[in-house]
Amino acid sequence: MNLAKLKPGQQGKITSIGSIGPLKRRLMDMGVLVGENVKVLKVAPLGDPIEVSIKSYNLSLRKKEAEGIAVEVAG
Amino acid sequence: MSTQLKRKEELEGEVMAGSVAERVITVAVAGNPNSGKSTLINAIAGTRLHVGNWAGVTVEKKEALFDFGGRKIRLVDLPGTYSLSPYSQEEIVARDYLVHQRPDLIVNVVDATNLERNLYLTVQIMELGIPVVMALNIYDEAQAKGYRIDDKGIEQMLGIAVVPTSATKRSGLDELLETVLRVADAPNQRVPKKLNYGEDIEVAAEYLAKSFRTSHPALLERYPQRWLLLKLMEQDSRVMDELNLQNLDFLDPALHHLRRAHGEDIESIMADARYSLASGLTREVLHKPELRQTELTEKIDKIVLNRFLGIPIFMAAMWLLFKFTFDLSAPFGAWLGAMTEGPFKRWASALLTPLGAPDWTVSLVNDGVIAGVGSVIVFVPVIFAMMFFITFLEGSGYMARAAFVMDRTMHAIGLHGKSFIPMLLGFGCNVPGIYATRTLENPKDKVLTALLVPLMSCGARLPVYVVFVSAFFPNNSSTVIWSLYVMGILLAVLMGLIFKKTLFRGEAPMFIMELPPYRMPSMHSLCVHTWEKGKHFLYKAGTYIFAVSVLVWFLLNLPWGVEHKRDSYLGQAGAVVAPVFQPIGFGTWEAASSLISGVIAKEIVVGTMGEIYAPKKDEKKEVPTLQEDLKEIGVSFGAACSKAVKTLLYLPVPEEKEEDRSSLKLALQGVFTPLSSYAFMVFVLLYMPCVVAIAAMRQEFGTWKWAVVGLGYQTALAWCAALIVYQGGRLLGLGG
Repeated sequence: MNLAKLKPGQQGKITSIGSIGPLKRRLMDMGVLVGENVKVLKVAPLGDPIEVSIKSYNLSLRKKEAEGIAVEVAG
Repeated sequence: MSTQLKRKEELEGEVMAGSVAERVITVAVAGNPNSGKSTLINAIAGTRLHVGNWAGVTVEKKEALFDFGGRKIRLVDLPGTYSLSPYSQEEIVARDYLVHQRPDLIVNVVDATNLERNLYLTVQIMELGIPVVMALNIYDEAQAKGYRIDDKGIEQMLGIAVVPTSATKRSGLDELLETVLRVADAPNQRVPKKLNYGEDIEVAAEYLAKSFRTSHPALLERYPQRWLLLKLMEQDSRVMDELNLQNLDFLDPALHHLRRAHGEDIESIMADARYSLASGLTREVLHKPELRQTELTEKIDKIVLNRFLGIPIFMAAMWLLFKFTFDLSAPFGAWLGAMTEGPFKRWASALLTPLGAPDWTVSLVNDGVIAGVGSVIVFVPVIFAMMFFITFLEGSGYMARAAFVMDRTMHAIGLHGKSFIPMLLGFGCNVPGIYATRTLENPKDKVLTALLVPLMSCGARLPVYVVFVSAFFPNNSSTVIWSLYVMGILLAVLMGLIFKKTLFRGEAPMFIMELPPYRMPSMHSLCVHTWEKGKHFLYKAGTYIFAVSVLVWFLLNLPWGVEHKRDSYLGQAGAVVAPVFQPIGFGTWEAASSLISGVIAKEIVVGTMGEIYAPKKDEKKEVPTLQEDLKEIGVSFGAACSKAVKTLLYLPVPEEKEEDRSSLKLALQGVFTPLSSYAFMVFVLLYMPCVVAIAAMRQEFGTWKWAVVGLGYQTALAWCAALIVYQGGRLLGLGG
C-alpha cells in the first residue's frame, strides 16, 4: 500500500520511502520519515495533489511523489 | 578603593564601552517558511530594510543596519528554509552564509504552533556552534490554542536563549534585541549544547574526528568542527566537493558500524537522529490541551478546498486579485502619466525657454527625460498594488491553497501550481506578472514561468489590435482579438513543453509544499514589504527604462531638424530592418520603425504609426498658468480616487474621449491588407517584451541571461508565427 492510494480520512504508518536523491531528502526534511503516522486529509478538486497531516502540520504533495511512500494502513 | 582609582575604572569602562558600541553586531535571521520571520524582520527594521538579491541567484536578500540600545546591529535575513541540506538554492544560500561569513549570532525564528518541525532546523543550526537566540514566534496564537510551552526548559536543554515573540502584535521584540545584545557581549556563556545524536552516530563521529585531526587539522580550525564531521558522515556532496574531500580512506571504516546497524542510507539515519531530538524536546516542553478544538483553518479549508466549491472559489479569488491590482491602480497610473505629460513638460519649457535653451534641449528634456520618467512612474501604482495583494495572499495562507487547486492543470504543461497567478497577472500587464514569479520557490519553475508570462497578451497590446481590427475587421472585431489572446496561451503551452525538453531538462521540480494555517497578515508588514519592493522597482528597473526612453528620443529626433520622419535615425533604422519583415507581409520602413519604438511599451506602436502615417498639424493650444496647472493636478487626483472607488463598486464611470484615429485607419487601409494586418498583430503580440518587462526580468533574476533568452526566443517565435500566418494565408488564397 502506498500513500497515494489512501482515501481522505484514512491514516497509516510509513514503512519505507522509495524515492531517492533530492526528493527523498526533501521529504525527510519535511518530517516524512519511516515510522511516522500520516493521515490523508484531502484530494485537490482536480484529483491531484493530495493534502496529508504529518508531525501535526499539513503538507501537500503530488500523487506521483506519494506513490513512493509505502504505508501500513491503521485500523 | 580610592576615588581616583574608581574614576580611572569608570574612564576605562567608558573607553571600553566606546569601542564596543562601535562594533557592528552581525545577526543572521534564520527560520522555516511561514514562521513569521518576514513579519518579525519588518517589525524590527521597518523601512530601514534594504532589499536585494543574493549574489548570482534569484533568492531575495534583505539587510538592515540600525541602532538599538546604543549599539549597532546588522540584521541579515536568510532565506526561509526547512533544513540546511545542499539541494535547494535557498538552503545553499543560507548555509554558505552561516559557514563562510560566520555571523556573531543567529536569531532562529520558530513557529510556536508548529514546534517539532521548526526545531528540526534549530538542531541543524546548533551544529554550527554559533550562539543562537530563539525567537519563539506566533506565541500569542499558541497560547490562544491552549499550548503551554516551557521556554526555560528549551533554554536549559539546548543551551540557547529563548524569547517568546508575537511579531504581528510587535510584542517581545525589544526583549529579543536586548537578549541579542547580551548574548553577543558574552558569546562564550551561550554556546549551543552539543546534542547527542545517539550512540552509533557519536561513536562514528569520534572515530572520524581522531583521523581527521591528523589528516586535515587546518580544516578543523577553519570550519565548525561538529558541523564538518556530521557533513562528512552524511557525505554532503557540496562540502565534499568544496573542500576536496572525496577520497578520505578512513571514512568508510568510520561508517562501517553505522551502516551495519542502520542500513546504507546515512542521510536518512541523520535525518532520523535530528528529528528524534526535535520530537523528544517537543514532548518535554510542549503541553497541548487534552481536548482539541476544530481549528479555524480546517473549517475554512472544508469550503475553500471543497471538491465542488474549490474551483469556483479560486476563480472568484483570482478575479478579485486581477480587479484589485489593475482596476484600482489604473486611474492613479493615468493620473501620474497625465501629470508628466502636461504640467511637468509645460513647466520644463517655461523654465528652459527664457534661459535661451535651444529647441532640441527643450525637446530632449520634455520628450526624452520627462517622458522617460513618466514611462517609469506610470508603473508604480500597479507594482505597488500587485505587491500588496500578492503579499497578502501569501501571508494569509491562501497562496498555497491556490497552488494546491491549480497544480493539476499547470503541471500538465510542465509548470507549478503557483505559476498560475503570474500568468493571470500577465494579461493585465506582463511586468507585475514577472515580479509575481517570486512566489515560486524552485528557480526552474520561476524562470520558466517568467519566460512564458510575456506571451500573455497584456493591456498595452490591446490599443494596437483595436486600431487594426477597426480598420480591417470591423464586422468580427471581437473574434479576431479573442483569437490573438488564445494564440498567446496556446503558444505558451507549446513553448513550455519545448523549454522543458531543452533549457530545463533534468528531473521535474517537486511539489512538496506546506499548507500553513490561515493567518491575518499584519498591515504594517504588508506595507513595509510593498514599499520596499516598489522602491526597488523605481531605482533599479527605472534606470534601464529611463535610459531606453532617452535613447529612443535620440533615434526619433536626430539628426535634429529632420523634416520627414523617414530621415530620422529611427526611420533609417526602420528602412534597414524593413526587408526582414518582407516575407511576413509588412516590409516597410514605417511598420519597422513603429515596431522598434514599440519596445518601450507596445501601445507606442500605435502612437508612432499615427505620427508617421497621419501627422497632426501643430495646434496652438491655450497654455494654462501655473496656478491652473496646480489646481488641475489636485482635481485630477481627486477624480482618480473617485474613479478607482467607482470601478471597484461597479458604479458607472464616464467614458473617456477616444482619440480620433480615423485618419490613421484610412492610411493603414492603404498599406496593409487584412491578411498582412493580422500577421502584424500576431507579430506585435509575440515579439520581444517591452523594456520594462526585460528590466523586470534582469532585476528578478540578477542576470541578463534570461532577459536575453526571452528577447531572442520571442522575436524568433513572432517572426515564424507571422510568417506562417501570412504565407499560409496567401497559399489559402486569402490575398496578399
